[in-house]
Amino acid sequence: MLEQLLIFTRGGLILWTCKELGNALKGSPIDTLIRSCLLEERSGAASFDYNAPGAAYTLKWTFHNELGLVFVAVYQKILHLLYVDELLAMVKHEFSGIYDPKRTVYSDFGETFRQLKKEAEARAEELKKSKQVGKPVNNSKKQGQVQKAGLGGDKKKNEGGLASDGGDGDTMKGRRLENGNSNGNHVDIKESNVFGTANGKENTSSNLGAFDVNKLQKLRSKGGKKAEKTVTVDSNGSKAEPKKKITKKNRVWDDSPPESKLDFTDPVDENGDNNTEVVAADHGESMMDKEEDFSSESEAEEEEEGEVGKESKPDKQKKGWFSSMFQSIAGKANLERSDLEPALKALKDRLMTKNVAEEIAEKLCESVATSLEGKKLASFTRISSTVQAAMEEALVRILTPRRSIDILRDVHAAREQRKPYVVVFVGVNGVGKSTNLAKVAYWLQQHNVSVMMAACDTFRSGAVEQLRTHARRLQIPIFEKGYEKDPAVVAKEAIQEATNNGSDVVLVDTAGRMQDNEPLMRALSKLVNLNNPDLVLFVGEALVGNDAVDQLSKFNQKLADLSTSSNPRLIDGILLTKFDTIDDKVGAALSMVYISGAPVMFVGCGQSYTDLKKLNVKSIVKTLLK
Amino acid sequence: MEGLEQLKTQAGRLKKLAGQWSSQALEYVHQVPSEQIYAAVAILLFTSFLLLLVRLFKRPKANTILLTGLSGSGKTVLFYQLRDGSSHHGTLTSMEPNEGTFVLHSEKSKNGKENPVHLIDVPGHSRLRAKLDDVLPQAAGIVFVVDALEFLPNCRAASEYLYDILTKVSVVRKKIPVLILCNKTDKVTAHSKEFIRKQLEKEIDKLRASRSVISTADIANDITLGVPGEPFSFSQCQNKVKVAEASGVTGEISEVEQFIRDHVKS
Ligand SMILES: Nc1nc2c(ncn2[C@@H]2O[C@H](COP(=O)(O)OP(=O)(O)OP(=O)(O)O)[C@@H](O)[C@H]2O)c(=O)[nH]1
Ligand SMILES: [Mg+2]
Repeated sequence: MLEQLLIFTRGGLILWTCKELGNALKGSPIDTLIRSCLLEERSGAASFDYNAPGAAYTLKWTFHNELGLVFVAVYQKILHLLYVDELLAMVKHEFSGIYDPKRTVYSDFGETFRQLKKEAEARAEELKKSKQVGKPVNNSKKQGQVQKAGLGGDKKKNEGGLASDGGDGDTMKGRRLENGNSNGNHVDIKESNVFGTANGKENTSSNLGAFDVNKLQKLRSKGGKKAEKTVTVDSNGSKAEPKKKITKKNRVWDDSPPESKLDFTDPVDENGDNNTEVVAADHGESMMDKEEDFSSESEAEEEEEGEVGKESKPDKQKKGWFSSMFQSIAGKANLERSDLEPALKALKDRLMTKNVAEEIAEKLCESVATSLEGKKLASFTRISSTVQAAMEEALVRILTPRRSIDILRDVHAAREQRKPYVVVFVGVNGVGKSTNLAKVAYWLQQHNVSVMMAACDTFRSGAVEQLRTHARRLQIPIFEKGYEKDPAVVAKEAIQEATNNGSDVVLVDTAGRMQDNEPLMRALSKLVNLNNPDLVLFVGEALVGNDAVDQLSKFNQKLADLSTSSNPRLIDGILLTKFDTIDDKVGAALSMVYISGAPVMFVGCGQSYTDLKKLNVKSIVKTLLK
Repeated sequence: MEGLEQLKTQAGRLKKLAGQWSSQALEYVHQVPSEQIYAAVAILLFTSFLLLLVRLFKRPKANTILLTGLSGSGKTVLFYQLRDGSSHHGTLTSMEPNEGTFVLHSEKSKNGKENPVHLIDVPGHSRLRAKLDDVLPQAAGIVFVVDALEFLPNCRAASEYLYDILTKVSVVRKKIPVLILCNKTDKVTAHSKEFIRKQLEKEIDKLRASRSVISTADIANDITLGVPGEPFSFSQCQNKVKVAEASGVTGEISEVEQFIRDHVKS
């Protein structure tokens, strides 16, 4: 059952909630959704899972950007409500009709809502039946207006393809292309066979980004619940559609030969490059391609177009750039996905030339698109500049730390409690952990903090000596126990030692390890869990590109999975090294922050001890968009 | 097609006309003595210069009040209390500022012509802090809302935010008054404003020590708060910093309204 449906402004004022559904929500799922999903530039995802003691909800949302409204539906996670997307779209459509910014009370909307809900439920029921019969059933008239929402919600990946098949307007178009050359194997409804509904596997891979990100997000926000395998994946389900309509669609599509041959709109991880090539070669096609590329990814967004808009779409595409130019001159009522695509694509490419990991560039573009769709373009502004401005805001938001990164203040606080402040430096091999540890030590020393180093890299020969050299140069005490011992134990003893001799800070050097090295990751997890440091600092190279995502997500994942505690420690901060060597390719900063949610606390930018900086958010954003 | 032809002929005619006029104008100019022309040009320049000056110096009327504070402190509730005298169905974390120019609800009943206030509720979520910088230059007063109920767990974060505001160049230079508003006093477990003031001062004192430095990259804030060597207190600030109490949900907001009245010129 639907638990709740809310309508609120982006400013945070609740305009309407369903009184009948009056079940008080447990915890604060909506606030959590806003804070850890919508404000984290993840609004392009299809759904959000909320877990709290005694509550497990799934949330779905849609925006009305022009009016600044948000619609959120909450339902029990165990239920796969198939009609939620559709209901949301209908509610959005109806509500935007009566919305008036000056009005704050909409008690009369209850009646409309009841009606909409009934319809949606009925249709879901029908769908179920039709699936058993294996044939779509004709639907009521009203449905046509809002046929947009691909019904997601199916989380069981493997049955996803089956559970909710069917074809539907845009969703289908997107899907079809996405699976252009994956043989859509499971199709219940005959008519939509051509369009090949994605099979579970294909779909998952195309959504891998969302999945990783969400998973991490969850790990972080809940700090518990290991190995959450329920993933917020776009399910490829869509709803049954009147027979007639499907065939019509079908024909239209057949009319446009270029599309049927486009197979470069596959999951991007497979042939992203290929994709860009084609785009560069032919502008006429690229737009379509881009559009599909994006719309296929996000079912969470439904535009309020209605039948007319949908049907005119194929024509529009045929007309190519001329019509789009005409449109940009004549001015357009509301921005549509397709209008945004070219600008977004350009922006995505630009981000990628700055070394932003591809999947993150894509997620960001999606999120920006979600926030712009349906908005009115201000007169005399170009779409590209509107998109750029939105992206700039998003980037600033991401890079602005969620919490204070004032280490000195934390150190002082620990000192008051007569406890040493423990920082563990982790990372892959050769990124400069020890060197930058020394820089941090130097910086702390400059501010009258007594520092101690702990040589817990008992794995790589020479590591202890290297740290000892730094310690000697900086005249900082070092705690070492050779190479034999368990690093977790060495760290423990070091902290004990620091407590005894009154050191303020313990900087723990650990062995570099590849994120896939299970035994070493286990050792790290043990070290972290045994000593419960105040800060787990991930040291990463600013040079890293797509691998940044893998490194950070795996580290976090392993720390969570291998932890024995119910509340595992994850990475709290990032130290970016070799920042002086990357020129304007500052993308790693963005990738790492986005994927982990942890702020960049230091930036290493040279060979000497003084070469340690804070991240300058504004200049990074500027560089990224340059 | 026909339309196009017509257009073309029309354009041609217009061109001719323009040519005639310009030649006429030139003739006329030649007839007029040059001094007069110089004078005319000078006057033209002078007036445009004057207009420019007026434009530059006429600042927008400072009637903007900012509602700031951590997420969940109750800014949005206050905003709607001030505007509508009700918090409606409740609020959620704001993703965008709430902004409006209006006559305060409590003053609407008065017949006197009260000036409207421009109120901006700046979201408190740390990801959205950058918004503050955009609106700060317009501010005539800043209300810093503190959750008096959940004060202790948020004390440090609140102090850091307040510290950031108090050290903003525009705040210091323009001496923008700040009202620290202890909200949610309708609950008995809420902390008193005296307690909150003391805790904030203590915390800011510590921040002064740690904040002053981290190597260059960010443009260092060269503003130091208070008097060096003395424990920090709000009275040391150049701008007026007051502490007050309120309850957004029950509508006990007279102290905020007073603050707004004091600092929005009528
Ligand atoms: N008891 C009590 N609760 C309040 C009061 N004011 C606000 N609240 C509650 O505090 C919560 C947050 O209020 P908001 O106004 O949304 O907070 P905000 O400061 O706007 O938060 P952001 O928009 O995230 O910056 C809501 O659940 C309110 O009901 C008050 O005076 N008393
Ligand atoms: Mg708010």
